[in-house]
Parts: sequence; structure tokens; C-alpha cells
Amino acid sequence: MGNKQTIFTPEQLDAYQVQNKLNGLFYRYRDLAPQLVPLDYTDKPDVTLPYELIGSMPELKDNPFRQRIAEVFSEDGDGNMTLDDFLDMFSVLSEMAPRDLKAYYAFKIYDFNNDDYICKSDLEKTVNKLTRNELTPEEVRLVCEKVIYEADLDNDGKLSLEDFQHMIIRAPDFLSTFHIRI
Amino acid sequence: SMSTRERIKKFICLALQSFRRFRNSLSEHFHQLWLWHKTLKIIGGEFGTSVLSYFIFLKWLLSFNIFSFLINFSFITVPQFIAAEPNNLSFTGLELLTGAGYFQQTVLYYGFYTNATISKTENGASYNMQLAYIFTVGIYFVICLLILLFSMAKSFCRNFINPQTYSGNASKLLCTWDFNVTNEKAVKLKQKNLSTQVKVQNPGDAKRCSNMTNGHPTIVPSRELTQQLSVQLLVLFLCRNIILKISIIGILCYYWLDIVAESKSQCWETLIGQDIYRLILVDFIFCLLGSFFGEFLRRIIGTTVCVSLGVPEFDIARNVLDLIYAQTLTWIGILFSPLLPGIQMISFFIVFYTKKVSLMKNCQPPRQVWRAAQMTTFFMFLLFFPSLIGVLSVIAVTVWRLKPSEECGPFRGLSSMFAAVSEWIKILENYTGSKWVVWIYNNLITSELFFFILSIIFLIITYLYWQIIEGRKTMVKLLRNQIVNVSSSFSFILFKIQDVHQKAETVGFAVPGRKVTWRGSRNHDEKTHHLKESSMPPYSYVSLCLYIT
Repeated sequence: MGNKQTIFTPEQLDAYQVQNKLNGLFYRYRDLAPQLVPLDYTDKPDVTLPYELIGSMPELKDNPFRQRIAEVFSEDGDGNMTLDDFLDMFSVLSEMAPRDLKAYYAFKIYDFNNDDYICKSDLEKTVNKLTRNELTPEEVRLVCEKVIYEADLDNDGKLSLEDFQHMIIRAPDFLSTFHIRI
Repeated sequence: SMSTRERIKKFICLALQSFRRFRNSLSEHFHQLWLWHKTLKIIGGEFGTSVLSYFIFLKWLLSFNIFSFLINFSFITVPQFIAAEPNNLSFTGLELLTGAGYFQQTVLYYGFYTNATISKTENGASYNMQLAYIFTVGIYFVICLLILLFSMAKSFCRNFINPQTYSGNASKLLCTWDFNVTNEKAVKLKQKNLSTQVKVQNPGDAKRCSNMTNGHPTIVPSRELTQQLSVQLLVLFLCRNIILKISIIGILCYYWLDIVAESKSQCWETLIGQDIYRLILVDFIFCLLGSFFGEFLRRIIGTTVCVSLGVPEFDIARNVLDLIYAQTLTWIGILFSPLLPGIQMISFFIVFYTKKVSLMKNCQPPRQVWRAAQMTTFFMFLLFFPSLIGVLSVIAVTVWRLKPSEECGPFRGLSSMFAAVSEWIKILENYTGSKWVVWIYNNLITSELFFFILSIIFLIITYLYWQIIEGRKTMVKLLRNQIVNVSSSFSFILFKIQDVHQKAETVGFAVPGRKVTWRGSRNHDEKTHHLKESSMPPYSYVSLCLYIT
């Protein structure tokens, strides 16, 4: 690598999927809190950045789902991310992640109460985030009922992962819209 | 110490790893071209994925032109500089517009290239210009064909072109939020658009009342109807434009190949090259003018004179078709003017920056969902099917059938351009080391029987794959029906269990076992219970039946 400082061991490099962008992503992670993140990661230091820093990134700060995204990818479920979580997040949201992986994580993002189903209350929260709370509760309820009616295949009143994946198949744009450029 | 087998396994593992790393870095740096990465991010952030797809398509076409320019320049033009004849014409500025005059005697056109075998020193390495010309152009088109074929197939595979998509709210709501949009204003706009769509689709009682109190009920067309109409209009617009452009290029090709080539004029290839140069230049000028009138003036009109029109949206379809048209012309022109891709490269650069500036200053983000994935696949298909295949046919006719001009160009005096290859093969027959090349040429390339057999084999394979697809479609339909059937029989079984429960309780027996509740079917029954074991596999209802009985 010449005069570049080695940040990762070769085994670490192999383990991460986003190999070519690894250095770029690491510097973005470090830029959020230079005093907390060391430059040398070969001994796997235990560093976690709080959600407030992650949520202030320009790629995420205006996204209505930024809190859910951080919660889904963080180890503790509160949005505080280690470097591994950070890299996982951007590798799932990159162009090269397969459809099934993206569908799985999109499902988890929309599942606000983490019960492995998108129930009516999850849908209502999603609709409110998508429309910036501009709809009346009556309209929100109507929309959620329509969504469940269309997408619920096994008739249990909520969307399971299979229902969600079945819906994704009919939306070929999903792969390009569920994508954040960094 | 490891056994040989383990050593071989480890070696293969390492080799695969390094190959994977190499391929990743190659695809990252070459195929994706970190050029304009930040600009594309900004465009995607403000306008969303659909507008971004136009700029990505432009960047992709640019890479084709850069590749063509590089190989043409290195393999054809640079050797020609060594054997160049002096240029006696004078340069006036008019040549930039007409392509004729001074440029006629430069490396820009076919006519300038020599047919000699260039060698720098006596008895040194020699460079056969005829073979270089035909092989460079030929190999470039083969590579283009393969790249386009694989990209198109991958795109089809990812996007499952299915005209019945977008039939409902569910996918619209949950799958189309554009995570690319990072600009605060754009996010707010998108949210507002979504809420407007929802409101229009579910007109509340308040709106209905206000419609009635005006005296006469107004008919508000449903959202689905307006969306259907706009899709049909788009399809009509696309078909009309495509047919128009194909006809234009078709007539031009007929004119060039049948009339200009047979006209016994001095150097007909150079004439065709000049025609194409002028066409490309005019197309470029009109592209810029289109941006000026279609976006800049339209915004001025929409904000000052006629405010109801509003700010324009970026017209993706029209712009992409313009790109495909320009690229088709460039591909046709490569044989007659090897440096044409370089000119097109410059033009694409300027178009990119012009469109970007015009977009940022004059346009608003698109309001409607644009089916970006399907459209991109469709445009790639257009680029492949009428465009590249048409160009290959034109090139094939030129190389095989037309007689090159007598006095200029690398193929002067031959009966056809391809004759250069057959003459080379005849020379090779005298060398024992290259007998295999001669064999391949005689039995594979010029043999009709070989191509006939190959076509039959491909037709059989296509037919088999087609039948497999039909079978899979039927299976998908059956499986889907099965899911619905299973769920409705499941509800029925649970209803029966509930019935038995109630009967047992009225009679006074306590029924042991788990408490199972059910949810009513699709008529939105008010009994909203949750299944305790909701992910029961289908065979378990059989065991429940046994439990009841």
C-alpha cells in the first residue's frame, strides 16, 4: 500500500463486502467523531458512535426513516453504531446488494415494533412519515386498510416478510430506490 | 504438513479470492467511472432516481465512445501519422461546421488512410493498415455487442418486465420511497406529492360535500384513470418518436449505401463521413437549443407570463431518445470517420453539463412515479435492437458488398473491404505455422453450413428455454392460488374449532389444549384477534382436524 497507513488487517479486508469502498466509508465514519475513532483498526477497538452523530450525516439527515434505519442496523437497537454496523448499513443500501437482502432490511425498517410483522400501527406510522403527518387519521386508516387488503396474502391482518417480498417483486424500481449513494 | 489435496484447495481458494478482488476493483474503476460521482449524487439527491437514470445512461454511452476513440486512435490513427501525406489545403473556420475542406485531408476521414504496409525501418516490424482498420472496427463492434447483450440481460433479469405492475397502493406506498433523495426541499416536495396522491385517491366526505354544494356535482376523474391515460400518452409519444427516428436513419442509410456508394465519385466513404459529421453537429446544436427553449424559456414563461403552467419537469423520454439517436449516428460513422467517437465524446461532455445546469436552474422534481427501472431496461433494449443491430447490418453490407473507392482509403483497389481479409488468409496459407487460422477461416467463418447448423442449434435451445418459462409461469400461478386456498381453508378450519369450543362450553365440557382465536376473513370483521401461533405450516391444520374429531 506504499505510504498509506494500514487501517485494517487483510483478514478484516476480506470479511467486509464493500472492499473497494472500505477506506472511503471508514473515513466518513471517522469524520463524524475524529476524537472517538482511532486511525488504527487492526486490534478491533470497541467504538460506538451515538445515534445523533449518525443521524446528522448529509445522506441521512433529511430521510424520514433515518431513525429506523439506524435502529435496524445497530447492535443495541437504539441507533448507536459501531463501524461494523455502519459498513453493513451502507453495503445493504448500495447498488450491489441483492434484492432479497434489501427486501429483508426494508421490512425490518418498516416494522416499528420489531415483532416480525408489519401490523396496522406500523403501517400508520409509515404513512405518517411518508406524508409528513399531513393526512387526517381517517385517511391514514383508509390507506392502511387498503394496503393490508392488497398485500396480505395469508389473511392474518398484517404483512409478513413473505407478503412484503411478494409485493417487492411487483415493484421493479425497489432496487434503485432503496439505495443511498455515498 | 498439508496433503496435496488440501494444498490444491487452498490454492484454488486464494486464486478465486484474488480474482474476485481484481474483478471488483476493475468493475469499480472502469465500468463505473468515478467521473461525476459527486454531481450524480447531487442530482439524485434533489430530483430522485428517475431523472438520475438519464444521466447514468449518458455516462454509460460516453464510456462506449471513450473506449472507441482510444482504440481507434491507438491502432489506426497513430500509425497513420507515421505514414501521413502532407495536407495542401488551407484551414478556414468554416470546416468546423461543414466537415469538408481542410478536414478532408486529415486523419478524421477514411479517405486519408493509406493502404500500405507501414514500416519504420527497412526490414523492421511492419504494420498492415488494411488489416488494422478492419480488425479494429470489427473487434470494437463485437465487444460493444457483448457488453450491451450482457447489460440488457442483467437488466431484464433484475426488473422482470411486467406490464401489470403498479396495480395498487401497497407497492406504491411501501416500495417507492426514494432513499436517494437527500435534499430537504426535495424530501418535503415528495412527501407533499404523496399526500396529495392519497387525498385524491380517497376523496373524503368534506370534499364530496363541497362538490355537491356548488349546485352541480363535479366529476373528478379517478387517479387510476389519469395515470392510465398518462402512461398511454407516454407509450404513444415513444412509439411515434422511435418510428420517426428509425425511418430517418433508414432512409439516410439507403441513400448512402445505394446512391452515394454507387455514384463513382472521388471518395464516397469520405463523403458519407462528412454527412454524418454534419448530422451529428446539427443534432448537438438542436439538443442545446431544445434545452434552451424547452426548459429555460418554458420556466420563464411559466413563472412570469402564464403562471398556471408552472415550472417544467425534466422530459426524460425525449432526452434519452435523443441520446440513442446520436449514438446510432456515431456507430454508423465509425467505419467512415474513425475519430468521430472523439467528437461525440466532446459533445456528450458538453451536453451533460448543459443538461445538469438547466435541470438545476429550470426544472422541478417529477411529480409522478416514473417506472425508472422498466424504462431503463426498455431504453437499453432500444439501444440494442434497432440501434446496434441496425448499425451492424449497415456495416456488414458496406464491408461485404460495396466496392471501396479506387483512389483513396486503406481498401483502394480491392473488390470489397472484406477482400483484405481473404487476401491475408491466402498469404497465410503459405506458412505452416498458421494453418489453423486458415482452417478456422475456411471452415467456420466463410462456411455457410457451419452458420446454418449453429442457427438450428440456437433455435432449438431458444425453443426449449421458452417452454421452460411457460411451465414456470403456470407453476407460479398454481402456487399463488395455493396460498390463497390454504389461507381460506385455514380460516374455515379455525371457524370450525371455534364452533366446537363454544358447543363444548355450552354443554359443560372443558376442552383442554391451547386457546386458539381467529380473525374474520376479508370483509373486515370486527373481531380482530391475533393468532397465537401465526406461522403455522399448512399441514398443521390437518392435525387440528384430527384433534377436533
